[in-house]
Amino acid sequence: MSKLIHVETTNRPLDAAAALEFCSSPGHGAVDLFIGRVRDFNQGKSVLGVSYDLHETLCRNVFRELAEETAKQWGSEIRLWLCHRHGRLDVGDASVIAAASSRHRDEAFRACRQLVEEMKHRAPIWKQEHYTDGDSEWVQGHALCSHG
Amino acid sequence: MNDVSVDSETRRIRIRMFGGFRQFRSESELAVELEAAPTVADLRAQVARAFRDDDNALSLLKASAFATDTRVLDDDEAVPLDADLALLPPVCGG
Repeated sequence: MSKLIHVETTNRPLDAAAALEFCSSPGHGAVDLFIGRVRDFNQGKSVLGVSYDLHETLCRNVFRELAEETAKQWGSEIRLWLCHRHGRLDVGDASVIAAASSRHRDEAFRACRQLVEEMKHRAPIWKQEHYTDGDSEWVQGHALCSHG
Repeated sequence: MNDVSVDSETRRIRIRMFGGFRQFRSESELAVELEAAPTVADLRAQVARAFRDDDNALSLLKASAFATDTRVLDDDEAVPLDADLALLPPVCGG
């Protein structure tokens, strides 16, 4: 894998400082950091936590593909970090960290956003929300299939 | 790997299940038997038979994709029998 790209899935707490350290270069004047966190309310229900399920091998392959596409679009010198957590998370816990650094801010902003948006639509990750009323529900998502 | 032959004409295929499919079965894998040279559409039809008594599972199956460890499969291609297979419901990372 390119030394300019880091992708990972983990069941441990995410490390924003590590993402910033990786997305660092003397020639890079901009770094954009995105942290996705579990919020306490969704679809009219009070949320206690979220369990993330993912297909680890395919997920890392898709992350790498997304990062390579992003680097191709926004410049070969760009540095990219994408890490998603799995397992049971509480409200406030970080579920995903994406970061991008580049010479100027525009590429960093756009690349970081592209990583996050594509990850949400293409990476094999699922979440089950746990509510304060004791119920749990798998969240509806984006279909990967192309059949009719 | 899915290389277990029941006989020369039939193969047993194991499929890992993720996300919402976990609520329909206590196991994380589903096994189905397929005739020789099946397509992904054949696999989908056989999985539908396994879920025939559960309308919610069948509805989720229609919106789901089959995949190996490296890519999502199209329904009209052959099932790669030398790869681990997975059934992926609609995704929602982040």
